Amino acid sequence: MKVVTLRSDALAESEPLSGKPASAMIHIDRVSQRFQTSGRQSHLALSDISLTIDDGAFVSILGPSGCGKSTLLYIVGGFVSPSDGVARVKGKAITGPGPDRGPVFQEFALFPWKNVLGNVMYGLRQQGVKHSEAEAKSRKLLEMVGLKGYENFYPKELSGGMKQRVAIARTLAYNPAVLLMDEPFGALDAHTRTRLQNDLLNIWERDRKTVLFVTHSVEEAVFLSDKVVVMTRSPGRIKVVVDIDLPRPRKRAELLLDARYQKYVVDIEKLIDDTGEDEIHA
Amino acid sequence: MITPRALLQKSAPLLACIGLLCAWQVASLLLNTESFPTALEAIRAVPSILGDKESLVNIGASIRRMAIGLSLAVVFAIPLGLLMGRIKGVASFFNPLLMVIYPVPKAALMPIIMLWLGVGDVSKTLVIFLGVSLPIIYHSFQGGKAVEEKMLWSGAAMGLSSAQRMFRIVLPAALPEILTGCRTGLVLALITMVTSEMIARQSGAGNILFNALDMAQYDTVFAMIMIIGALGIFLDAAFEKLRGSLVRWSKPQHDIPLSFS
Repeated sequence: MKVVTLRSDALAESEPLSGKPASAMIHIDRVSQRFQTSGRQSHLALSDISLTIDDGAFVSILGPSGCGKSTLLYIVGGFVSPSDGVARVKGKAITGPGPDRGPVFQEFALFPWKNVLGNVMYGLRQQGVKHSEAEAKSRKLLEMVGLKGYENFYPKELSGGMKQRVAIARTLAYNPAVLLMDEPFGALDAHTRTRLQNDLLNIWERDRKTVLFVTHSVEEAVFLSDKVVVMTRSPGRIKVVVDIDLPRPRKRAELLLDARYQKYVVDIEKLIDDTGEDEIHA
Repeated sequence: MITPRALLQKSAPLLACIGLLCAWQVASLLLNTESFPTALEAIRAVPSILGDKESLVNIGASIRRMAIGLSLAVVFAIPLGLLMGRIKGVASFFNPLLMVIYPVPKAALMPIIMLWLGVGDVSKTLVIFLGVSLPIIYHSFQGGKAVEEKMLWSGAAMGLSSAQRMFRIVLPAALPEILTGCRTGLVLALITMVTSEMIARQSGAGNILFNALDMAQYDTVFAMIMIIGALGIFLDAAFEKLRGSLVRWSKPQHDIPLSFS
């Protein structure tokens, strides 16, 4: 059985993923983020984060709430600019949002005035794709995420799980190189969550986009990812990067019985508990 | 098949009107003063107003001024409110100004405006514009401020520029709130219309009312009040129809169904 590789050095050199030549898709270089709080004080949310994410890798960022993991994702998205350091995508410094990085938020953030089809078509139309073409592609995507027949529904008429399926389809539609998922299943019930995890993996297996996935669920991170980045709180730092060496395609039923999967979960939980103790002693 | 309950609910506004008229009739018969005609007398005076060409021209002029004032306010107030909602600097510049203007009854400005611009259409339209703008600015401001950041981020990731996000995300997302402001504005437009004509007595529905009052034609006074009230109900119902079709996608708002639609 393979031992969990724990690296204290966050600047992990990119390792080739099985069978695929690795190239860096995202490179985060010594990024820090400081927020002004009330008064003249400032809060260091992220401290000296360096991380390289390979093209086609599924990487999760795991940590307690308030560790700045979402902020890190927003920096890669270009929605927030870092106080220090630089983040790059395909070697180019990130200066703002762009269609090469597609976000999926916990809050879904659908356009409520557009129906399901209109939401999914929105990005394509913005990219100048012809209406008929955008519609055909969007219908196909909706079928893929299991929402065939719901094209004319408005977001308010959908359940949380369905809304998130629409949001995923909406982002996949404009074909970003990187998917940025900010606790996408955090607001869903356990059953829906499991189903969406399975479906996300199936979708990902097809085109192997680079995914940066923020979560606070250890099981979710291990089940989905190639690498799990464990963060500490206040200031947010990378504690370790754990390589998840489990075969793909992954089947939930098999994995839950797999001793290696279980050990990853236990080991990472222990790491996070240690993170908690650090706070107490700090 | 309509259930009795649904029928009652549908006819409730009509029943309320009939009830009010009955109460009026009884109160007026009991009081028996000259300045308080009965409901029937007032209703009988309505056709003579609506049948008179000069009165119709007057009422038409009122409605025209109201429409112009309201339209100008909508064109000016919605962009300003949305910009205030999205850009902090714009809000901190205009907020104190609006706070000063808000409590001033706009009709109180009428005498000064008349000094500058005369008693004609321009003054009255300007007062209507002032009266209507503030609630529309305020609601647009709230609506713009409440737009979910993540929705704008999603748009930015699709490649929408900041101007495009303003038009294609902030405006539609804030539309339900904007239209709530417009509805308040519509009612205020009617009120300011009458008060402006009360001060600048030259033409209009308010002028008919106060001329009749001067001449102690109390049935005409009350008939005119009824006509203005009916106009308000009609405009509000028409606007609600429009609003309903524009924001069908939004979560239903639990406001009092103050309309006949």
